[in-house]
Amino acid sequence: MDRRHFVIGSTATAATLAAGPSFGQAAYPSQPVMLINPFPPGGAADVVGRPFAAAIEPLLKQSVKIETKAGAAGAVGAQFAATAKPDGYTLLLHIVSISGFAEADRINGRQPKFTLDDFIPIARFTSGPVALYTNDQSPYKSLKELVEDCKKNPDKLIFSSSGIYGALHLPAQLFLQAAGIKMKHLPTNGGGPALTALLGNNSQILASSVAAASGQAKAGKVRALAYYGNKRLASMPDVPTMKELGYDIEFYLWVGLFAPKGTPAEVVNKLREESRKAVASDPFKQSIANIGDEVAYLDQADFAKFLEADAKRVEGAVRQIGKLQS
Amino acid sequence: MLGFSVALQPGVLWYAVLGCVVGTLVGVLPGIGPLAGISILLPVTYGLDATKAIVMLAGIYYGSQYGGSTTSILMRIPGEASSVMTCIDGYAMAQKGRAGAALCIAAVGSFIAGTFGVIMLTLVAPPLANFALRFGPPEYTALLVLGLIFLAYMSSTSLVRTLLMASVGLLLGTIGIDVMTGHFRYSFDIKELGDGIGIVPVAVGLFGLGEILSRASKDATGQVIRPKLRELLPSREEWRQSRMPIARGTVLGFLIGIVPGSAHIISSFLSYAIEKRISKHPEEFGKGAVAGVAGPESANNSASTGAFVPMLALGIPTGPVTAVLIAALMLHGIPAGPTLVNDHPQVFWGFVASMYVGNLVLLALNLPLVGMFVNLLRIRYYYLYPLIIMFCIIGVYEVNNSIIDVWIMLIMGVAGYLLRKFDFDPAPLVLGLVITPTFELSLRQSLVMSSGDWFIFFQRPISATLFACSAILLLLAAYSMISRRDWRAKLAEVDAADKG
Amino acid sequence: MILRRDHIAGAAFVAAGIVVLAVSQDLPIGRLASPGAGMLPVLITSLMILLGLVVMLQAGSSPPLAEVSWHDLPHAAKLTAVAAVTASLYNTLGFVISMALMLFVLVYIVERRNLFAALAFSIPIPLATYAAFEYLLKTPLERGLLWF
Repeated sequence: MDRRHFVIGSTATAATLAAGPSFGQAAYPSQPVMLINPFPPGGAADVVGRPFAAAIEPLLKQSVKIETKAGAAGAVGAQFAATAKPDGYTLLLHIVSISGFAEADRINGRQPKFTLDDFIPIARFTSGPVALYTNDQSPYKSLKELVEDCKKNPDKLIFSSSGIYGALHLPAQLFLQAAGIKMKHLPTNGGGPALTALLGNNSQILASSVAAASGQAKAGKVRALAYYGNKRLASMPDVPTMKELGYDIEFYLWVGLFAPKGTPAEVVNKLREESRKAVASDPFKQSIANIGDEVAYLDQADFAKFLEADAKRVEGAVRQIGKLQS
Repeated sequence: MLGFSVALQPGVLWYAVLGCVVGTLVGVLPGIGPLAGISILLPVTYGLDATKAIVMLAGIYYGSQYGGSTTSILMRIPGEASSVMTCIDGYAMAQKGRAGAALCIAAVGSFIAGTFGVIMLTLVAPPLANFALRFGPPEYTALLVLGLIFLAYMSSTSLVRTLLMASVGLLLGTIGIDVMTGHFRYSFDIKELGDGIGIVPVAVGLFGLGEILSRASKDATGQVIRPKLRELLPSREEWRQSRMPIARGTVLGFLIGIVPGSAHIISSFLSYAIEKRISKHPEEFGKGAVAGVAGPESANNSASTGAFVPMLALGIPTGPVTAVLIAALMLHGIPAGPTLVNDHPQVFWGFVASMYVGNLVLLALNLPLVGMFVNLLRIRYYYLYPLIIMFCIIGVYEVNNSIIDVWIMLIMGVAGYLLRKFDFDPAPLVLGLVITPTFELSLRQSLVMSSGDWFIFFQRPISATLFACSAILLLLAAYSMISRRDWRAKLAEVDAADKG
Repeated sequence: MILRRDHIAGAAFVAAGIVVLAVSQDLPIGRLASPGAGMLPVLITSLMILLGLVVMLQAGSSPPLAEVSWHDLPHAAKLTAVAAVTASLYNTLGFVISMALMLFVLVYIVERRNLFAALAFSIPIPLATYAAFEYLLKTPLERGLLWF
């Protein structure tokens, strides 16, 4: 990188600026693509996003970089992406909780900083299974025992979560509401600390991603009581679903890709096409299988439909949680 | 022994060394902390087997703890919160031309602490981890209260000024979203403030930039310290003075490190406080006391090793870095959990053994580098300080890619300049900032658990013990205030009597 | 009465505390058994104001304000201004250009070194740093207007 390049580079940029948007339409992508990961490294969006970036790079023939903009349970990164230039070079990885932010703002009398409408869904990659867990120091062997005990002793048990309105608070709240029981809520600052609280018996109940709890479940430290999917999970055939037990609840920790609203259609289509190929590639599937998840790909149309139904569930859960207590 | 046979395979060994080299680089260069370093290299490990991957990634983590002291000592830029204490006496030593000695002692202290940590990890990981798991919110609260009381002890000069700085730090720490209720506090609609004020921008601003602002270039040009080569190594006296601080820092750091959560940052602060408190020459602290480098540096390294205990033995993350390491194991199809050691002994023992090797590699890597780094001080000050400002900006910006953080650093730089003019010590401010979120969260979580009953803190054995320690310290302080006699003086007398 | 250094220092903290209390009005305090979002800030701020007052009361032993030396202020102000301008241009101009400008201004204008030395210093260093981050550490720095 010598000075000559430096100078040429600057003039080229100036020329581009003068010529207006024509350059951006040349052939997407002509520069590196940035995927915003709105959660701390190692979080749900990160472990799916990194293999995805690796898989789509050769297809787009551009480098695809993950940029972490964590904060406020994923709101900071989402807001950043919502206000980014809609040119296809800034994309957002996000999870189920993206649907809840606007609702949470609304019921607390704040102006929502962004809504789902600010994004174009591109693809859903995975649909992580969630289950309700208890630890090995609690006596409950089934969900029925738990519900009966809670009915007799409301507010005796404590459930931990990844933070208020967070991705692990929502499913727990859905269950409490459906079963008509009460527990104390112990918010922590992430999925890991929430699981640690359960292991240390500082909480007794946690709705956790199956992947995150699998190591502990294998060692018998935590026990799944019910599964949030619509049919039993192959990796834990003995755990009944919420629906079987009479609670009409479904919840998935899905991870998907979004583009800011206003991104040109041809860019979106290019991304859809290459995402589909990337998701179907073996290395990606292997990486996802390794984290205890499976690829549950949905293309734009199906994803949008799914998102609509899912957003209703999430908004419902946020409303049930209600206003922030003061 | 399985461990060493795994760790000494050429392939694994190579990745351990590579991890250590990258870690040193990550530690020395401001801007990329271990967390970013590991996440960036995570995809590189996809092609490797799990043992090599984890050995390399862990190498980056503990390697960066070695390197972190370098910028603190040479430029007074704390790469992360745990190096703040090193800045104070490390930089003061560098000003006296003892940069080489400070760097050497930091490296050797880190080596001893790291090795001790690994030995403890090998011997007692499972029982220790189970103990660590008993640290729930009440125990945290108790630990941090103890930390705060120690902080008050740190102030052998002015209690009021120390507490004032700490309260400013505590207040800054409340900025951002309240985790318990989701309220935004003092964020003034700036979304980046939602997650609170970062420690790095504040520490870099107060220490790094603040130092530059209060040193007009014409003052400094004449007195550039040119360290002579033969003065690179610590003198015998310096070794003697750092022996016990290293030992104390090592044990203390390890104990704090195994507790899940972010409390391990306080290990270097506590170590500094203890060293200053029991030193016979507390007035030297801040002016280049060797013990003020040796203790905190050892503590922060053994804390980072201690952090692996709950991760390996139980599969629970003690902080963001171990969370990424667990994710890395999962990406390689190995679920982290209590069964790791039985299901994947080659990974577990290979990892542990590689840390013995890694610590040796780091020592071998860091000692020769001392000579090179010290040469940085030969750069004329009017060229050096623009570079330092540049590194402050990159360092702060790269943590979150946030320009707001750079502004925070600038404001803190000005604040650091003013605080210096008015004779305030910024270190307690940083400590206050570090502990507030955890302190407030665990205090309120405890009250949720007990339905608002404050007795929860005295019903649980660990928290009751910690509170008892705090009470004893307070009584001691009160006693010395009443009797107008410093107990430290007494301790020195007892010490002298012992020797005599 | 002589105005002393700690009178000003203490007063500054008291004033800051009062401002903080004023903007904390909308935060719920809660009860002792379940503290709200506003409790800890209010407690800490009160402590800060109290300590600020103590500093003012004890100011007698501090040097008079007039004795505090401000000879380094012009230099510090210049550096702060340069750094602030750099920060505000950083995202637009990118790392290399903004840093090269900053180093150049500091060395050539603030420190009055000769032009050639300043150029030789301020151009290669940001480029090398950029390359190191891009290729060795794989964390690209802000690119801004640059095109490579």
